[in-house]
Amino acid sequence: MNDLRTRLNARKPAADRAFTINCVPGISLVFSLLVSSHVVAQSTAPTIRLFPTTVVEDLRQTSSVAKEMESGLQEVIGRLDQQQQLYLESKCDGAEDDPGCQRLSRQLGATYLDMLAIMEERLPDMEHTVNNTRLSLEKRLRSELGNKMTPWTLQETLLGGNPRETSAPSPTMRGRSGMRLSERFKQYYQLVASSSSQTDQSLAVLASDIYLDMEETSELIARTREEIARATLIEQLNQSFGTITPEMMEVVGGVKSILFGDETSQMQIAGPPPASIEQAYRSPLEN
Amino acid sequence: MRKMKVSAPLKVALLIATCSAMLASCATTPPPCVSPQTRNLDHAIEDVKSNLRGGGCAAHFDRYYDELLTIAEGDPKAENKRVFSEFLVWSGDQGLLSQRQARDYYNRYFNVKFTSMQGDYNNCSHTCPRRDRVMLNMERELSDKERGLLKVSLDSAGYYRADELYQEVELVLEATCTACNAVR
Repeated sequence: MNDLRTRLNARKPAADRAFTINCVPGISLVFSLLVSSHVVAQSTAPTIRLFPTTVVEDLRQTSSVAKEMESGLQEVIGRLDQQQQLYLESKCDGAEDDPGCQRLSRQLGATYLDMLAIMEERLPDMEHTVNNTRLSLEKRLRSELGNKMTPWTLQETLLGGNPRETSAPSPTMRGRSGMRLSERFKQYYQLVASSSSQTDQSLAVLASDIYLDMEETSELIARTREEIARATLIEQLNQSFGTITPEMMEVVGGVKSILFGDETSQMQIAGPPPASIEQAYRSPLEN
Repeated sequence: MRKMKVSAPLKVALLIATCSAMLASCATTPPPCVSPQTRNLDHAIEDVKSNLRGGGCAAHFDRYYDELLTIAEGDPKAENKRVFSEFLVWSGDQGLLSQRQARDYYNRYFNVKFTSMQGDYNNCSHTCPRRDRVMLNMERELSDKERGLLKVSLDSAGYYRADELYQEVELVLEATCTACNAVR
């Protein structure tokens, strides 16, 4: 069983570890948290208002900010790739005392600092839009699902009109899907913007999923911003000694895969065997 | 002599009283409430009904229900849902179960919806303070649904929907309760 709480909790120790090493793994975690969503497409009109225009607009804005951040980082990451390649091809690994290698190492470190600077510059916007979305959703969830519904009505909402109908085709957006960050937000936006074609059950799940992502993302962005100054200082010190840390290499790889997608294929789980709804027995005792 | 004449009827009365007491005690001895000996569900249900009639074995209802489920697992089919429903309706008619109990017995095993997800108050005030307990109860119920829907009735679609519902409730409650508790 795919336990979402386990999924969320499993991220936290990884995030904590990342922050003690360097800020950028934190950033990559931030991005990875922005991806999950349960997508369900049904065709009845919603009666609960979980996605007013403000939330839709916040999501669109977040997608746009993420795109700007990607554009800014794309060039610097490309440069880092080239420098790293050159460093390896020059067999500098293990030859740190070589003057040429020291120069390459400093160049690599400088580019790395550029990347940190771009993230530092873009993160406040990201934090702002993520927080706006989170607060709007929080208000709607509290009102629509928390205060206006009993446990039974919530269950009926999630089941929709036909409790025997399997809802989601597949959780295609949950987890790291290998797509660009801005694309993920674009998908959130498109799903929510076309909410008139979604049922209440899918909207409730979608809103919950986005909200929990935003909640954790918001916290991680704040912590990441605090860490950037420290990481920058450490890298500036490394520059003085011409050292390339293993974390730098990992960070660049991580940021690339999260921002620009990776090749990791998603595990497909077989769906349930088809059942005949017509033949389903309905007891007079059934609720 | 006169004394003897008085004590003889007394002895007879005493004997009759003793026999009556013995007969009465025989009548109130609880029936054995034996388990159904057959592996055929219909026959097993008839056996159980005959034991339950009169109410002598009513206290064993849970055990009987569990045994019937075990027997049904040996011959799973969609029709079993109806068989259990009719048995529970009969139990209600016999006064062995209230209507609510009959519904709970049925829905816990054979319905997608969770009987443990009930309450008359809103989620912020009722469900969120006891969310862990609600989820634990739902998890237990899901295991009963696996038995009723999947193993007894071969209703895999129903069971997978219940499993999915469990996960959705977990996610939605986590988000909703976080929102309810947020003090900003």
